[in-house]
Amino acid sequence: MTNLITIFLSMALINNFILVRFLGLCPFFGVSKKLSNALSMGVAVTLVMFIATVATWIINRYILIPFEVEYMHIVIYILVIASLVQIVEMAIKRTNLTLYNALGIYLPLITTNCAVLGITLINATEAYSLSESIACSLGGGIGFTLVLIMMSGIREKLEFADSPRSMKGLPVALLTAMLLGLTFLGFGGMI
Amino acid sequence: MITVLVLTGIGFACAAIIYCVNIVLPHKVHGLEKTEEIANTLPGMNCGACGHPGCFAYAQALAKSPDLISQSPCTVVLQDAEGLERLEKALGVSIDASQMSKRALIHCNGNSEIVYDYSGIKTCKAAVQLLKGYRKCPYACLGLGDCLEACPQGAISIDEEKQVAVVDVEKCTGCGLCVAECPQKLIELVPEGTKIAFLCSYKPLRDIPGREKCDFGCIHCRKCYKACEYEAVVWRKEEAIPEFDIEKCTLCNKCIDECPNNTLASFTRVKAAV
Repeated sequence: MTNLITIFLSMALINNFILVRFLGLCPFFGVSKKLSNALSMGVAVTLVMFIATVATWIINRYILIPFEVEYMHIVIYILVIASLVQIVEMAIKRTNLTLYNALGIYLPLITTNCAVLGITLINATEAYSLSESIACSLGGGIGFTLVLIMMSGIREKLEFADSPRSMKGLPVALLTAMLLGLTFLGFGGMI
Repeated sequence: MITVLVLTGIGFACAAIIYCVNIVLPHKVHGLEKTEEIANTLPGMNCGACGHPGCFAYAQALAKSPDLISQSPCTVVLQDAEGLERLEKALGVSIDASQMSKRALIHCNGNSEIVYDYSGIKTCKAAVQLLKGYRKCPYACLGLGDCLEACPQGAISIDEEKQVAVVDVEKCTGCGLCVAECPQKLIELVPEGTKIAFLCSYKPLRDIPGREKCDFGCIHCRKCYKACEYEAVVWRKEEAIPEFDIEKCTLCNKCIDECPNNTLASFTRVKAAV
């Protein structure tokens, strides 16, 4: 149990996907202008990470390892994640319209997100068990959501800040990202 | 060999699962029937010109409030009478296409003299940052094609001879995506029935000290205004530029012939010579 909590915290804070591992940077800047959008994106990423982790763990354990084709990880994982996201989108669209509207365009968008592929590859290289993989994916997703929400909150305030003309918009957002990254380095010695 | 088998196997399995899920899940979604009906009449090219992320999102917005069609119409459907009829039926409102349909017009005659050698990034947005562009006129089309990239119809091309972007009015749907792209703000959406194109953006009101207009722009001589027998040319005194009344214009071409700098052109002939 302690092991699972350690993995969860490690993925969420210490090895945070965006600020420490530098994965999933496109949504970090693309979708962090409004808090509501950031939340939708974060939830969608967490959901897809969780589903992808379970599916790829099964495929890795029962197909790739017995046939000794682990070196094809990347290709197979991309294929599996893409089809999974398609199925999930289809299912949500036809069964729960409210949820579909809440997730909106973000669900199909993250089909090719590197954070989603990253988490499955991390699980495979670390040789995590199923429960460890799930803890890892949830930690990663929640850490991702946390940073996205923090960033969007700051950027909403930055809109009204009196910054120099040359720094308005993306430049000042990049500086903010740097400061956020520095604060997350502080978690380094926690475990 | 085993790798190939495993890969193809997983590929086929994924396809099969998607196919099965598609069959098993209910096709008619409660509360989405109307959206589906509307979405089927839309072009489905997801150009985003209506301001919604894709055609399906637009259909969802339309299903909620059909009046939206008059504020942000789908310009691709407006061009196609048959598609418009189907959309009218799906929405239950009547649409007057001739009122809403627009065309993009680039207000520049091109060929403004080059005043310094620009060797930076080849986009208009970058070039404008440096002394309002490298041409004599600070409101000149730079011809680097930012608008060309934005056009989902491929209606804009660069006239090689004149170094100016031109719109093919037959391909243009008037979606307005290019309007925001032009850093010089030369592009305007005009009614579809416009007959005369005014190819200059330099107005005395916008005068910048130290920068002259080029030799091909409007010289404010009022010849077009005097030449018109049908009172279709209205002279805007403050800005000292002509305005054209499409209702009264008979396209007699007199104003075009009179214009000493060829700043006026027949609208349908504004097309690349290439």
